[in-house]
Amino acid sequence: MKIITISFIAYVIALSFIPLVHQLFVAQSAWLGYGTGAYAYQSPSYFVLFNDPYDGSSKPNIHVNPSFAPNERISIIEFSDWTSYVDGFNLFNDFNVTIRTSADGKTLNATYTRPGLILHKFIQLSSDTVQVKMIANKEVTAHVELWKWVMTSVNNVTIATAPKPMVIPTSTSINFTFNDQSSNAIGVGEISLSRVPTQIEVWPFENGFNRVTVDFINSEMTFTVSGSITEPGQASWSYGDLTYALPVIAILTVTAYLLVERHGQKNKDRINRSHS
Amino acid sequence: MDKRIKIVLTALIVRVAIAPFFMHAGDLGTIYESSAIALNGGNLYNFVYQQTLQMQYATGLPIFFEGYAYHPLLIYFFVPFYWAYTLIAGPSPSIIGGHFPSLPVLIYPWALVAIFMLKIPIILADVAVVYILSGIDLKKAELYAFCPYIIFISVVWGMFDAIVAVFLLLSYLTFNDKSSYALSGFTYGLSLVKLYTIVLLPLYVVRLWGKWKDLGKFLFGLAVTLLPVAYYWIVSPISFWNVLVGFQGSRVMGGVNLYNFVWIIEDVRFDLQMSMIPTILLVISVAVIVLAYGRRLPLLEAILAVMLVSFVFGKVLNEQFLVSIFPLMLLCKKCDTRLWVAPFIFIFLRSPFYYFAIPILWSSPYFYDLYFQADTVWRNLQTAGYLMMPMYAVGVAFSLLLLWNLIQVLSVSRPAGGMLSRSLSRVIRILRK
Repeated sequence: MKIITISFIAYVIALSFIPLVHQLFVAQSAWLGYGTGAYAYQSPSYFVLFNDPYDGSSKPNIHVNPSFAPNERISIIEFSDWTSYVDGFNLFNDFNVTIRTSADGKTLNATYTRPGLILHKFIQLSSDTVQVKMIANKEVTAHVELWKWVMTSVNNVTIATAPKPMVIPTSTSINFTFNDQSSNAIGVGEISLSRVPTQIEVWPFENGFNRVTVDFINSEMTFTVSGSITEPGQASWSYGDLTYALPVIAILTVTAYLLVERHGQKNKDRINRSHS
Repeated sequence: MDKRIKIVLTALIVRVAIAPFFMHAGDLGTIYESSAIALNGGNLYNFVYQQTLQMQYATGLPIFFEGYAYHPLLIYFFVPFYWAYTLIAGPSPSIIGGHFPSLPVLIYPWALVAIFMLKIPIILADVAVVYILSGIDLKKAELYAFCPYIIFISVVWGMFDAIVAVFLLLSYLTFNDKSSYALSGFTYGLSLVKLYTIVLLPLYVVRLWGKWKDLGKFLFGLAVTLLPVAYYWIVSPISFWNVLVGFQGSRVMGGVNLYNFVWIIEDVRFDLQMSMIPTILLVISVAVIVLAYGRRLPLLEAILAVMLVSFVFGKVLNEQFLVSIFPLMLLCKKCDTRLWVAPFIFIFLRSPFYYFAIPILWSSPYFYDLYFQADTVWRNLQTAGYLMMPMYAVGVAFSLLLLWNLIQVLSVSRPAGGMLSRSLSRVIRILRK
């Protein structure tokens, strides 16, 4: 029976490495679906999440993997379907959505449909940018909300100069600095727009802005997002470290089990001896 | 008062007092929704299959709607109580939604009545187990009646594994005293309301192999419970196959076991491929146990060995599954029943805060606000991965403890010299025939 226990322990430890193997050899640079229909893409420097059809947030949420903590995911900007509208229709509540990946797994295509209106969001990653391309089957009036807690400046506008929601001059580039509240890191982000929008507005929240809204009238708009961390925060535990932690936990747990089992056996032997 | 009656009544009172105020949103919501569909003459499997198709169409992924994926008989345990509830509360729904990740909407006070009514069959099953055990050993009956884990699963969450437990216990008892093989087959068939006891069928067949008359009686009893299966197989074969076989066969591994590491791998196709490993091991291990030990062990130990090995190697082991064999474990001298502590701890690590007291939390804006505050803390811990580490440790520990119990149970048989080779030669002989 000892051989069964030892084989089982080897099996437990071997399996505990599967998440790490997946992270290193399978998960890189392709859209992968999971959960109730969410998709994620891990490139060498960005992690992009596109949430499942039952959640209007993170459509997508673009994270950067900082060099000071490669497993950390620091959100640069989040597209929200909860608060975005096309022709007055809410992207989350008023459209049917289907999500598909391209054959090579490199492009995610979220298709929003309602009578008379079809809108695609194509999300693609290159080595240094993330592209979110919106294409409609006709010219539309769109209001897209981009969230980040918090942007300390947007196109050089700060909370000191814009204490209330403020329309800022339109351009094809939105540059912002941010302070990531969870990791305390400071970074910069840039969103390049393929066309000049009709309006860009910033919305104050606490010590900065927590969202930028972009309004445009067109059948197509591409948001090209890039970002980096300029001042590292504190490298701490992150969810991505779990892949390394699980084998350690497996080894510690089986060791504890073996110690308890040995102790129990010794006690049993002692009791048996005293009885005999 | 007779001590036996005292235990049974106390077990009943404890359960009735707790029942209306708690629920597992997903599972009890499924029973509520399914009872309504069944009472209105709807086809449960068509409903679940349509939801699955919708999810698969929306996401392009091989994922399944987690609804009614049980034996058709199960819902008939609940429908009479749901019907009685509608007589009191009327036909308007009082529990709306609740399939993960959505939160349910509850209509007061009727939601509390619905929750209570739907828990009655579970409470009766629990009390029946206590009654049967108390006829054998009062101490064991007490352990079952007041075990926090059993109470939590049955009446806090409202999961129906106690129904599996009582029928499995009856099947064992009637088989063991040779009183009625037909009744044993019938009660075994009823225990299949949750499909994980299917692994015991080869064991029963092996035990009766050669006693053709008894085997015939057993299979007849079993066949009676399969009539609804035959009905759905004829009227909606695609839905039925997809919901029962497709869903159960294509589930991603995980639960209170060593396989829950898969929850951190964000890739459902890879997860499904990995889930083949435990499925293959399950088939092999059950075959080996049945063939090598099926007739050599006493029946109780043989049943426990097969169930334990299916829990060790089976890909899905939810917190509540242990309830089904807990009465049998109490009867077995070799088992350590303190094992329940592991799934009980796991419940608190895995489940969102609202799973513990929805009817109370949803009853006032003040409580609802408290829920949001607590839930924020819980979600922060979860998204940081802090809960996953203890969950994995508990899963591995529970698998090891199950294995330990399995080895203890197997030790009841004679020393196993050349056991594997004998079992393999037995397989070859059967194949030749």
